[in-house]
Amino acid sequence: MNLSNEQLLEIYEYINYARCMGERLEYFIKTGKILGAIHLPKGQEGLQAGLIMTLMDARKNGIKIYTNPHTRDQALMSKLIGLQPYADEMLCKTSGINGGTSGEYHMTCVEKGFLPAQGVLGPVWGQNAGFAWALKDQGKTDSVVWGIYGDGASSRGDAWEAMNIAALFKVPMVFVVVNNGWAMANPVEKEAPVQDLSLRAQGSGMRGITVDGNDPIAVFEAMVEANKLAMSGEPNLVEFKVTRWGGHFLGDNQEVYRDTSFLKHLDDIDPVLNYHKKLLAMGLVKEEDLKRVHDEQDAIILKVYEEGMNKPAPTVDEICDPNKVYGGAY
Amino acid sequence: MAKISNMKAINLACFDEFARDDKVIVIGEAVGQKGGAWGYFTGLMAKFGANRMLDMPIAEPAFCAFACGTTLAGYRPIVEFMFADFVTIGLENIMNMAAKQRYNSGGVNSCPIVYLLPQGGGASGSQHSQSVEAWMSNMPGIKIVAPTFPGDMKKYLQASIRDDDPVVFIFQRAIFGLQEEVPDNLPVPGSLLNASRVVKEGTDVTIVAYQRALINSIQAAKELEEEGISVEIIDPIVLRPLDTAKMFASVKKTGRCLIVHEAPKIGGFGMQISALIAENCLGDLAKPIVRLGGKEQPIAFGKACDLYMFPKVEEIKAEIRALVR
Repeated sequence: MNLSNEQLLEIYEYINYARCMGERLEYFIKTGKILGAIHLPKGQEGLQAGLIMTLMDARKNGIKIYTNPHTRDQALMSKLIGLQPYADEMLCKTSGINGGTSGEYHMTCVEKGFLPAQGVLGPVWGQNAGFAWALKDQGKTDSVVWGIYGDGASSRGDAWEAMNIAALFKVPMVFVVVNNGWAMANPVEKEAPVQDLSLRAQGSGMRGITVDGNDPIAVFEAMVEANKLAMSGEPNLVEFKVTRWGGHFLGDNQEVYRDTSFLKHLDDIDPVLNYHKKLLAMGLVKEEDLKRVHDEQDAIILKVYEEGMNKPAPTVDEICDPNKVYGGAY
Repeated sequence: MAKISNMKAINLACFDEFARDDKVIVIGEAVGQKGGAWGYFTGLMAKFGANRMLDMPIAEPAFCAFACGTTLAGYRPIVEFMFADFVTIGLENIMNMAAKQRYNSGGVNSCPIVYLLPQGGGASGSQHSQSVEAWMSNMPGIKIVAPTFPGDMKKYLQASIRDDDPVVFIFQRAIFGLQEEVPDNLPVPGSLLNASRVVKEGTDVTIVAYQRALINSIQAAKELEEEGISVEIIDPIVLRPLDTAKMFASVKKTGRCLIVHEAPKIGGFGMQISALIAENCLGDLAKPIVRLGGKEQPIAFGKACDLYMFPKVEEIKAEIRALVR
């Protein structure tokens, strides 16, 4: 696939956006504005940019993407539902996408393509396979569902069961495994006796491929193809290999279980810097553009969060509203 | 008007709701051609097509999650478990997913799923005979329906399918064949509220019981009439939201209360009923509340199962006699 210069620059914006989302999130947690064990995206921005590019490209082509990103997918989440409703939810404000009571792990807005995210990660694939079946049953051929897992969740029995069911019913779904090498504090070598987690798709007769998740162009190309395949009745799996820079969540001391000497040479593996260098070599950007685009994206994010902070939090009556627990009379 | 069994009542309820709403589907093991493990879906696939009868691999966790996924697109799945005991396998996606679907969306996403759970004794041993209603009861977001008689079975299954929340629909295998006359156009309740009913009127003792324990209680009450003891019996039908008005009124009248179910007493649903009666009717009680439940042990296989594990008519009679003494 040949990407246009405009597309390459669009990705440049997204990869910087993803970096800024992580940096600002870290800042707001450390300054006490956002609470909870939040999982930072640092090191996985290439994947985020590629997935966002696929989402935006699909929208331009009239394809509806349904997915439920979580934890390190903050950039994708906010692009799916809008930055303001995303940030307000993170800040536990009434104007958040779910009224400020769902937080990072449980966001949803089906209308905007955000299927319910689950704090317990394993069941997501089964849920999404059910939604994909419904799309197919309703003849919605312009839609595709992504199920985004980590390497850890892909060891759950649910993963096998959902792949099996999706393949049996030939639903329009792409199984995405983000393999960052760590299931919390457990290295992938202790989770799976295989080199590539994409092998697991074969057990359901599905195609599974492994892609370098640090390269946003490779991510975009792989996902466009995976979407096409899924929409033609062949659910399939794409594994993206990335590197998690920090601990499992902010505050997790990974020094006790991980050799972190790689952190001294981050420039070599930094997906943002590497993509910048690529466009620099192509003459598409100048050296100073990296800081400029970064600062532009950061300003957008900061403004939204600052606006969010001044908004009202839900009242006790809104938090404990029985109509949010049961639909009918109770 | 026709005489139908509990099994037939489930079948007829499904037929009526399938015809009424094309978003009603069935998800489970061998539900299509075979009509489900127990056969209560017989004929549905022939009439409504395979697209609405989703045969699943033996994968309760994934097909419970799958059911939630379909509700997000407007479907109303009936999820069948072969035995209620197996609900533990799918529990994560009932408790952690379905029960929270509405709240996590700020009240937007409904989750109209009915889980069919055939439960209780039937000579099948420790992993195929348990009563699970209490396991499911400590979970806001879930409703629990536990009918005993064919008429209630039919109309409350229909009401459960129409309900916008996840409903755990529990019925007892041992009384699948129980029959009664049911009108052809049985009205369907508009909600699961105010469901309880007085099965038998009396003045000396109130019994609250459901499923086979209810059948045994009715028998015990009948036999005790010859001894001059008048028993009033309440069938709650819906355990959550529990309709307490009739049972409170009855206890205020009799001053004596016996609660009977097949599940073990410790942590059993009788604890909840007992607590509510104590909280609301303590001053009216002439004697302490009494509960009867199954044995506090795994359920034995074979005939021993029904002979020794669950409250029998004689035991119920003995407790009633002690209450009125």
